[in-house]
Amino acid sequence: MSTQLALAGVTKNFGGVAALSDVSFDVQAGEILGLIGPNGAGKTTLLNCISGVYRLDAGTITLADQELQGRPAFQIARLGIGRTFQVVKPFPSMTVRQNAAMGAMFGREGKRTPPKQAMEEADAVLADIGLGKRADVLVTSLTIPERKRLEVARALAMRPIVLLLDEVMAGLTPNEVDEALEVIREVNGRGVTIVLIEHVMRVVVGVCQRAVVLHQGRVLVQGATAEVLEDDRVIEAYLGERYAKAHRRG
Amino acid sequence: MSERAGLIRRVLLGVAAAILTVVMVMPLTSTETAQSWGLPLMTDKLWFRVATTVAMFVVLSSAWNIIGGMTGYAAFGNVAFFGVGAYSTAFLVANLHVPFAIALLAAPGVAALFAIAIGLPLLRLRGHYFAIATLGVSVAVAEVVNNVEPLGGSNGIFLPIVRSDLLFFYLMAATAILAVAVSWLVLRTRFGYGLLAIRENEEAAAVIGINTTFYKVSAFALAAALTGLAGGVFAQWNVFINAENVFPVDYNVQMILMAVLGGSGTALGPVIGAVTLEALIQAFASGGEFAVWSQVGLGILLATTVIFVPRGILDFFGGQSRLTVQYLRNSLRRTGV
Amino acid sequence: MSGLVQQLVLGLLLGGVYTGIALGFGLVWGVLNIVNLTHGALVLCGAYLTWWLFSSFGIDPFLGLLPAAGVLFVIGYALQRLVINRVIRAPLLFTFLLTFGVNLVIVNLLLLIFKADFRSVTPHYAGSGLEAGGVTVPYIRLAALSISLLLAVGLAAVLNRTRVGAAIQAVAADREAAQLVGVDLAHTYALTFAIGAACAGVAGGLISMIQSITPGSSGQYTLTAFVVVILGGLGRVSATVVGGLIFGLVEIFAQSNSHIGAGYSNAIAFGLMVIVVSIRPRGLMGRLSGTAPGV
Repeated sequence: MSTQLALAGVTKNFGGVAALSDVSFDVQAGEILGLIGPNGAGKTTLLNCISGVYRLDAGTITLADQELQGRPAFQIARLGIGRTFQVVKPFPSMTVRQNAAMGAMFGREGKRTPPKQAMEEADAVLADIGLGKRADVLVTSLTIPERKRLEVARALAMRPIVLLLDEVMAGLTPNEVDEALEVIREVNGRGVTIVLIEHVMRVVVGVCQRAVVLHQGRVLVQGATAEVLEDDRVIEAYLGERYAKAHRRG
Repeated sequence: MSERAGLIRRVLLGVAAAILTVVMVMPLTSTETAQSWGLPLMTDKLWFRVATTVAMFVVLSSAWNIIGGMTGYAAFGNVAFFGVGAYSTAFLVANLHVPFAIALLAAPGVAALFAIAIGLPLLRLRGHYFAIATLGVSVAVAEVVNNVEPLGGSNGIFLPIVRSDLLFFYLMAATAILAVAVSWLVLRTRFGYGLLAIRENEEAAAVIGINTTFYKVSAFALAAALTGLAGGVFAQWNVFINAENVFPVDYNVQMILMAVLGGSGTALGPVIGAVTLEALIQAFASGGEFAVWSQVGLGILLATTVIFVPRGILDFFGGQSRLTVQYLRNSLRRTGV
Repeated sequence: MSGLVQQLVLGLLLGGVYTGIALGFGLVWGVLNIVNLTHGALVLCGAYLTWWLFSSFGIDPFLGLLPAAGVLFVIGYALQRLVINRVIRAPLLFTFLLTFGVNLVIVNLLLLIFKADFRSVTPHYAGSGLEAGGVTVPYIRLAALSISLLLAVGLAAVLNRTRVGAAIQAVAADREAAQLVGVDLAHTYALTFAIGAACAGVAGGLISMIQSITPGSSGQYTLTAFVVVILGGLGRVSATVVGGLIFGLVEIFAQSNSHIGAGYSNAIAFGLMVIVVSIRPRGLMGRLSGTAPGV
């Protein structure tokens, strides 16, 4: 396997508070990598750094052989990074189809997809992701799980090389989680590398080959998912020291 | 859109086109023809004045709609582009003796360049700050112009008189049609989708690959070019310009009100708003106490529009909403506390 | 030398009036998140009220400030509760348009009542002042500066020391959270607006003693308030004071400069404002958005 996305020494401060310090890890081409860690660990900040919403204070982010740091968000998107937002950000006055088509219209390098063609491609993506029947409704009449799917559809329409998913499973029922897992596996099966932030451990265990644990803005542990989740330091970071000791004894 | 709504929209468009054609052709008819139709107003100077003014506001509100309605940036100083366009044309004609036809072409160019220059820093601001900064620019430009001697200072600029009500009516009407056509086109292209995305969620727009800075500045420049063109026509039409008559702060609010009243973000909304409101204003335009009362009326109209029909008149034409008590109640509930 | 000191003094005195104009405007903007274009009209109401009490009943204009504040408080409460609250959650464009419309109504009603003539309040002590080392300090302007500063201190005290102030700060910081702990949102908004209007009323009373007043000046007062609040920054009473004083100084020095002259005062004000906003959007000492107002 080859490295698809490489982070080296990524550092981000907010007014003197270090949100990310010296974060380094590689994402292999074609894998699904889980990005986990307790609330406030810096997971979403890291996604914002990769997608260019924030500027790095130090470090490099490399996609294949292109350096991403310092580029504006729209260029990074066109180079092949698609993402979703934890709090979904649809375009509310547009229909579901138009929302998805936006990704196809703008998110590709060098090619200007005209609206009509983008709408057709959007229909295909929506059918794949199970929103085909809702293509003509306004996005405001979608349920929350549907909006999360639409968020994924819009990113997929960009034909990304790497897809960054920020808690797309949060708030879903177990059945909906299973469906979403199916979608993720399918997308990955088509060769899209995926980095996902997730709190639902069933999801991480279910689809991620590897996992990176962030804690207080640093990489705590990385490696194969099962090993990482058994690591004492990870349990401590999530549940506190006392619980971790009990866990070790038990 | 449902089939019925589509039909209504087509019928309305047809009616609008028919009225427009009649209005455009009528001035060409001779006095006798007009009178034989029972339309004595047609050759009246006042009629031309009103019709040209209405067309001018169609341009201003359509142009504002590109940056304010479609892109979601509440520009409150677009009158600056009107003034810059007017002064460009007037300066070339009066001081450099450039023919009007050529000088007119400079108006949109200079206005667009000016928009790019102020847009690059200002379009990084959001919300209130952008609104105020643009308002500030329009007030400041007016003041600078008022003090710069080559531009006539507080004396203004006189242009050689061109006596042709017909010419200016057609020029302004053509500019209005251009503005509406540009709006219509923008909404159907990739560019328009990009602007709407910025309005709806700028961060999401950026991460799906939209060059937000370029799009915003382009929209601002496009609005400025159209507004500047109207200013250029106005300069020659009015013969005399000064800081007061081409930078009126009132226009800033009027063009926005027209777009919102008709339905902002759509191609036809600003036209409907401009025609309705300007017709009202002209109908009530007279001196003395009556004019003051008409201003009170305008203020009340503004307030009620914003509170009760925030999506504009056009909302009722699409067949999706009807003006009912329920609609008014919902409008209140949506935005009140 | 004394010329420079004189300008410094005049600038600070003018800045005092500007601070008074901007206090209520900044409070309403910071808490309700609306740019209140009726502010200038409310200032005018205060000015005309003071003028009317003085010219019809001979009431001393400084004494007239109290009824001006009281009447404007009531007008402000009603205006917010009955009209502006209707669009408080709408996009900013709508609050802009609504308040502009209300401004138009008030200004034109004032025009019908008081006509377009310039009016001024001239008590017997107008024109007298303190003189020291070639520097003149007009009494009325000195009093105006003092009252503006007192108003600022009073406003800060209300915000920081009272139950109402706590509610206002809570609403400014987080509307939903404030409601959860039992703050009556509509009432608090209306109270905030009423306090802002009362400040405008006092400022109007002060202006009536310093300049001539006419209904057409409404827009000018609102623009002044804008510039002051932006220069200082949103969300702090002290920032408004700093912004007001700076604006006063800049204007006086610009006017006395023979190269620039009085013709450019608006351009300078807005130029300064645009520069400040572009470089430091939260003003010279404003807080980050979403934080409560304070001292």
